[in-house]
Amino acid sequence: MEILIIGAVRGALYSLIAIGFVLVFSVGGILNLAHGTYYMLGAYLTFIFYTMVFNGGGTSCLVLSAVLSVLSVAIFACLIYYAVLRPHIESFVYVMVMTLALALFVGEVMSLLFGVSGTSVPSFVEGSIRIGGVKIINQQLILIPIAGLILPGLWYFLKKTKMGQSIDAVAQERTGAILMGVSVETATIVTSALSAGLAALAGALIAPVSSVVPDMWLFPLIKAFAIAILGGMGSLVGSVVASFVIGYAEVLSSFLISEQLTELVALVVIVLVLILKPSGIMGYKIK
Amino acid sequence: MAVFTLLSDNIFYIEVIKLGIIYAIFVMSWDILSGYTHEINFGFAFFIGGAGYLSGILNSFFSFSPYLAVPLAAFAAGVSGILIGYLTLRLKGPYFSMATLAFASVLFKLSFIFYRVTGGEEGISGLGVFTDSPTGDFFVAWGIMVAVYFILSLYARSKHGIILKAIRADEDGTQSAGINTAYYKIEAFALSGFMAGIGGGVFAHSQMHIGPTMLSGHISIIVVLLAMIGGMGSIVGPLLAAIGLSILNESLRVVEEYRIVIYMGILILLIYVAPDGLLNLKVIKNSRVLSFIFLGDRRST
Amino acid sequence: MSLLEVVNLTKRFGGLVALERISFEVQRGEILGIIGPNGAGKTTLFNCITGFLQYDSGSVILDGHDIAHDKPYQIVNRGLTRTWQLVKPFFGMRVMEAMMVPAYSRRASSRGLSKKENEQNIVKILEDMGLGDKIWMEVDSLNQGELRLLDISRALATYPEVLLLDEPFSGLSHNEIENISNVIRSVNTRGLTLVIIEHRLRELMRLVQKVIVINFGQKIAEGTPQEIVQEPKVIEAYLGGRRQKFGLA
Repeated sequence: MEILIIGAVRGALYSLIAIGFVLVFSVGGILNLAHGTYYMLGAYLTFIFYTMVFNGGGTSCLVLSAVLSVLSVAIFACLIYYAVLRPHIESFVYVMVMTLALALFVGEVMSLLFGVSGTSVPSFVEGSIRIGGVKIINQQLILIPIAGLILPGLWYFLKKTKMGQSIDAVAQERTGAILMGVSVETATIVTSALSAGLAALAGALIAPVSSVVPDMWLFPLIKAFAIAILGGMGSLVGSVVASFVIGYAEVLSSFLISEQLTELVALVVIVLVLILKPSGIMGYKIK
Repeated sequence: MAVFTLLSDNIFYIEVIKLGIIYAIFVMSWDILSGYTHEINFGFAFFIGGAGYLSGILNSFFSFSPYLAVPLAAFAAGVSGILIGYLTLRLKGPYFSMATLAFASVLFKLSFIFYRVTGGEEGISGLGVFTDSPTGDFFVAWGIMVAVYFILSLYARSKHGIILKAIRADEDGTQSAGINTAYYKIEAFALSGFMAGIGGGVFAHSQMHIGPTMLSGHISIIVVLLAMIGGMGSIVGPLLAAIGLSILNESLRVVEEYRIVIYMGILILLIYVAPDGLLNLKVIKNSRVLSFIFLGDRRST
Repeated sequence: MSLLEVVNLTKRFGGLVALERISFEVQRGEILGIIGPNGAGKTTLFNCITGFLQYDSGSVILDGHDIAHDKPYQIVNRGLTRTWQLVKPFFGMRVMEAMMVPAYSRRASSRGLSKKENEQNIVKILEDMGLGDKIWMEVDSLNQGELRLLDISRALATYPEVLLLDEPFSGLSHNEIENISNVIRSVNTRGLTLVIIEHRLRELMRLVQKVIVINFGQKIAEGTPQEIVQEPKVIEAYLGGRRQKFGLA
């Protein structure tokens, strides 16, 4: 039972992170290796806003901090796109290297500001609940309904709203979308902001119960990539499913084998998938 | 070319330049594969740290002399280069890069899991040195770097380099010229790994310590950045960039707190300004003299 | 025994049958033409024969050897080389450098030529193709026609027994086509067997002795150029999508 719920929590968390990553890749053709950084900043900025702006004023301030943090990260993502990526966006190598370098850079900045051992953020929702005889921390639990709201919300956005549809069009059939007058540029920026915001949200929500350290960007990035190749680089539904698969795989391996190996699960997935099916389970061609 | 006869008495300078030289070995080794095929290896820490740790373990647990441990560790790195090269054979672009990152991350995690052997966070200390003096060690490093430079340059200018460039341009086209592309890719991977292993081993023994930073994404990405700044696919560009920028890095120690941040910031800025590398700037390409010196370019008309 | 034999070659892409039981033979010294409307499967056929695509059933026999499991480079080293419809030039290198690549193949290097002799051969090939003045230029600076010439030169530098040309005339001027046709004739006189896919029928028919026609993955006709242009099935296949002049003049 515990496995069921914890796995679901993990899956929910990962889906928030991975879906943005996949979306940006489908729409912008950008493999944003700084995606993990958005996640990290979501956590750190929540802390920063809470302690510095609100001086620790209680739960509503905390929630507000989280919201501000998400917005800031979204803006940050747009800045990155404009200032750093657009000038040389044709070169795939450049984008990869630059985003990874930025990720490392921001990590070092955080290390500078808050030290290697990181900081901590208080919980939004205190306490814990007993479900089926197992104690679950509330803060973790809320990820499930939040993801449950956001993912369908995202789906609605993509399929029903005008902006969403244009983003969807670019993701599916770029040339066709351009011919129809869709601005790929706008779509890419909106998608970047959106995906960054989602990752930041995940970071903000998980911050109270997870360690907020300067290198917390690397493994979520790797996992996002694992999820992307498992679920298909162009498929959003696939990513969500894959997120849960990996979430459960991690939880299972931590129970059955050893806790230390959980982090390796995603890596093993990557290695196995890429080696066994190099043409991938991918939905997407690389130009 | 190797006009680096720095005869400074000041120990600090010797250490700084020695570090730069070792980084040059890393970066040149990276370049011979990724610079020529343009498949970006993000997991170079695998070879650097892997060989560093192996050499350290051989030295501290089995009392191998560094002169034996380093080549053995490098050999192991070369063999893993063959293995990883084979496994990543059909991967292109981002998939290749992420796979290499994944391999390095696996090794990174393993070094913590097997902390009893690897010393976990702290790494292994008290490793043996090459000679009795820092100057002696400096010359060992320098000699090795020069050897690496010549070997890699010759390799790059030989049929191997040309074939790698052809593979980069078009792998199918190269196959239809009758070339076994898989073989050449794996061979370059092995060479790259071996040389990086030499560098890693030399690093470990010259610092007398090996820690998880050498297995981290940090060193992997710095190697990539230095190579790109120097100019991929030229061997000499990465060499100069590594030495120059490492010196810069060390001279930033005056602001130690901010050093890493500033250093990385400068690296990022340099990539932004010259994404093809400093050596590939129009300035150098357009001048026949500079082009010849730096790129070894002979133009017969 | 024929030099190249394709027997019942079948290739499916999922539910789509791209090639269906294609069979033909090429004799030593022959020039065979393969024609057919766009999308008929001609390039797919080449890709299967040269090892770039796995096929589902059938066999390809080169000089008595079944080359089904050979990798593309191994097939080249056995003497069967191809050129590309969408040229695959070696950007970022000089023409001379690019031409050295085939010289490093097992087939070429086993001829025991010295470096100087190799270079001389390469220069000769390039001059014959009309690229003599471009030897030290960067590949990037060549135009489309020149790139195609380079691709063919690259193929010739592997000293093939059989050369598969995929639309060699496309994108070329009349003079350039004339030039290549002459090269084709001259290498053929020296013993090279050729299979040519082309859409420029008039120019093709002047070169080939035998033609096979492919439509929707099936061979619908085989014969001499004169026979083919009068074959009703062929005319019907083409009139559906393209207009072509069928004269031989």
